Amino acid sequence: MHHLNATRDYDACIDLCTKMLEKNPYDQQAWTRALTAKNWIDETEMEEEGVAEIMMDENATAQVARPGTSFARPNTSASRAGGGVATGLSSFNQGMRPMTRAGAPMTGFARPATAARPSTGSSRDTIETAFRGSGRPGTSRPVSSAARLTRLGTATQLSEPGGPFIDVDKLDLRKYAQKDALARALIEYIMHHDRNPKKAVELASLATVNANFKDWWWKERLGVAYYQLGMYRDAEKQFKSSLKDQPMIKTVLQLAKVYIRIDQPAAAMATYVKGAELFPGETSMLLGQARIHDALNDMHLGVPLYKEVLKWDASNVEAIACLAANHFYTDQPEIALRFYRRLLMMGVNNTELWNNLGLCCFYASQYDMTLACFERAIKMADDEEAPDVWFNVGQVAIGIGDLGLAYQALKIAVSVDSTHAESFNNLGVLELRKGNVEAGRANFEKASREAEHAFEPAYNHALLAFKTGEFQEAYERVEKALECYPEHADSVELKKQLKKHFTLL
Amino acid sequence: MGRGADSDSDPDVEDDDYYGASAKASTSAAARRAPLTSTAGNSQAQKASKAIARERRNYHIHRLYVRQEHKECLAVIEEVLGEFGGLCEYPIYVRALIKRHEGKIAESLTLFQAATALNPHNVANLKQVGRSLYLLGRHRAAIDVYDEAQNAVGADDWEIWHNKGLCYMYLKQFDESVECFKGANDIQRHDTTYAQMGKVYALQEKYNEAVDVYLEALEFSPENPEVLTTIGLLYLRMGESFRAFDYLGNSLTHDPRDPKAILAAGSIIQDNQDVDVALIKYRVAATQTPNSAQLWNNIGMCFFGKRRYIAAIACLKRALYLDPFEWIIAYNLGLVHLNTGQAASAFHFFSSSINLKPDFPSAYMYLAVTLAKLDDHDNACAAYEKAIEMDPGDHLFHLNYALTLYVAGEKERCVERLEVFEGLWKGLDDETKNVDDEVPKMRGLVRKALGMSDVFGGGERSAVL
Repeated sequence: MHHLNATRDYDACIDLCTKMLEKNPYDQQAWTRALTAKNWIDETEMEEEGVAEIMMDENATAQVARPGTSFARPNTSASRAGGGVATGLSSFNQGMRPMTRAGAPMTGFARPATAARPSTGSSRDTIETAFRGSGRPGTSRPVSSAARLTRLGTATQLSEPGGPFIDVDKLDLRKYAQKDALARALIEYIMHHDRNPKKAVELASLATVNANFKDWWWKERLGVAYYQLGMYRDAEKQFKSSLKDQPMIKTVLQLAKVYIRIDQPAAAMATYVKGAELFPGETSMLLGQARIHDALNDMHLGVPLYKEVLKWDASNVEAIACLAANHFYTDQPEIALRFYRRLLMMGVNNTELWNNLGLCCFYASQYDMTLACFERAIKMADDEEAPDVWFNVGQVAIGIGDLGLAYQALKIAVSVDSTHAESFNNLGVLELRKGNVEAGRANFEKASREAEHAFEPAYNHALLAFKTGEFQEAYERVEKALECYPEHADSVELKKQLKKHFTLL
Repeated sequence: MGRGADSDSDPDVEDDDYYGASAKASTSAAARRAPLTSTAGNSQAQKASKAIARERRNYHIHRLYVRQEHKECLAVIEEVLGEFGGLCEYPIYVRALIKRHEGKIAESLTLFQAATALNPHNVANLKQVGRSLYLLGRHRAAIDVYDEAQNAVGADDWEIWHNKGLCYMYLKQFDESVECFKGANDIQRHDTTYAQMGKVYALQEKYNEAVDVYLEALEFSPENPEVLTTIGLLYLRMGESFRAFDYLGNSLTHDPRDPKAILAAGSIIQDNQDVDVALIKYRVAATQTPNSAQLWNNIGMCFFGKRRYIAAIACLKRALYLDPFEWIIAYNLGLVHLNTGQAASAFHFFSSSINLKPDFPSAYMYLAVTLAKLDDHDNACAAYEKAIEMDPGDHLFHLNYALTLYVAGEKERCVERLEVFEGLWKGLDDETKNVDDEVPKMRGLVRKALGMSDVFGGGERSAVL
């Protein structure tokens, strides 16, 4: 049995245990961790926020946070607000680097909970935005509270013959808290298999009292349980006290996670920095810092951290991907290409990678490879990724001047995903070039409705309206564009001209 | 009772300035408001005091509006409107203006229409209604309103003419538009009228007329940087770069940070081989418009002029990233790659440039040079033929063609081309001949090679410059 557990053959292990328990229902040895391990999820990763949490965020201290102090306002990085010079060379520049659908800057690595949170702007606190979710239609449903936890939990309960294995509600937790080793296994079971944080809190607090408030492990568990219940401040207290007893990597990560959830990037950053001092060479601390920099739009600060990560762990996928993306968006596609090749050699083989390889090849003038890469990407793509790949094919086609191909590729992209805003925007531009003003306008309309974070469709629409003399329309659009990207020089100029029109008697 | 209900709604159109105009309505109003007194004199006096009361705070509203204290202004307007049941012309008018400031044109239009309903004889209201319609893009309706206003005002008003001109411009009826602008200028001269008239001419590609208009405007206001810049740009478009530079330089002395003027002036400086000065100019512009593809293109070509090819390619690529539809960036990238000997890349850029703009003959010539380098002789010849077919008068096409033919060993056709070149070369003036000293050198080389046939190698590259 132990062997099966060690080799991670959890299903076989569970079968065996069930048989043993049938023979002797009180054999406590068979209370195995197999069920727990089967349903294990990494607690140190962030999870998606639910609709209710976005809408009714009771941890927010200010409606409009100061620049650089909130994840919800990534466009207001502290360094930009202070410097005031958006030259696009050092800091983030929307003209060069696209945004994700939720309005956060594009990084090289898709992480949980970076895509969901809607950004600032008029759309922020509306139900529609919260319900839109982060994915494409058909695949996304709004995340309900603690979605990942509950959903995984229900799935296992369904598949379990003969009802739940342990009925926690009927256990006398006080009794089990006395038996330390068993209690540890039990709480893991409660948290990971039953997903019952309330009971977990009960057991953990009893166990902590039992251990005279000296055991870091129980405090940490208690913190996690509080966290799952949404009691972030209590969780913070437990983690801090646990760290005082015994500094552990896991606890530091959990503490930082609490700060990120209550939208305090500075505190999270400080936690990571302290953690990095305590555990030099621990890449997760460095990655944590880099992620916060990315989320706050300070991409250039993240780069040295990723490099540091690679020094310790030369095959860290996240660091490689982020560095590659960073090089790509700072006009060094050749170097990005090398990073992506490294990923390929490490055995990563997916649509995104081939797509990025294709783009890098194109911008590094290696045309023979470009289309081959995209072909592979398309072959592997499912409905969620295909529109992005086709969009990039369209982009490449525009780059080589083959507007017919570009048009077709973009049409395919929107046929797969009828909300692909970027494709609609580019289709609009192509239609305008053909002279189809109305079709172009409709495309921009659609694009700006789908992507409220992007300034391009709004600006294009404004320009079109301005040229046809519809100043009201133009004004509204340009306002929207400036909301997304306040430094966009063309929009500023357009607005100035519109103002002139309005004030002229 | 029935009478009372009538009079409630009836006198709405009446305003204090014009209370004499609709006698019947106003008496009924007076009768309602002063039901206890019936003498005409008494009601008259009451009305006068009412009128004064109504206009009492107009000065305040006006002052707040002019100071752009829009919030307080709106508050005062709200108060006054509440006091008189929304029947005051001026507060509504100012409120509409503020709404327009905020960009809410549709709302402001309804307010102006309300003001017009209160006082149909005030031309200012009519003009604003027309203006709102114009801003909303309903140009035809706007012209109708302006016509009405013109009939109402009797005397001429430049604004009406000017705005009518604008509407005609958007309706693409350029002749009527110019007529209207001229009418406006006859009454009173304004910068905007000149600017718009010039724009109409530029839209029709009548650049000479446009320049004339702008020059006239310049006499009227000699220190307007926008006019100066526009003249400079027009001269540039007509190919008179020296005069263009004069005006652009003038404009820059008035407004040294105008990115448009900097870009234009920089391009002229660059054309005159003064690359470093141009780069300094661009540096100023780059802080203001970091995402301008044109700017990055010019910077790239500056580096190209300094023979720093890597920097040039980086800048041009960024430009192309920012604006993939700009054919000239692709063309320039092709040139740089051709110079660094990367013919395959150069081919891609030339071909995309041609895809985007098929009517630029030089691109075909460079494409031909590139193809020749890639040993695709037949297609190279085809490209040369195409270039020559589009512009038979360019001597460079013939010279490069001759070179390619020579390298391929087709001496007879080579001589043929060279003769055409010689014919064109003789026809050129000295200035054009001296622009590029490579051309005569190359000419000598080919002639020598044809005569003595031996000393020749790798000719095209330098001719490409």
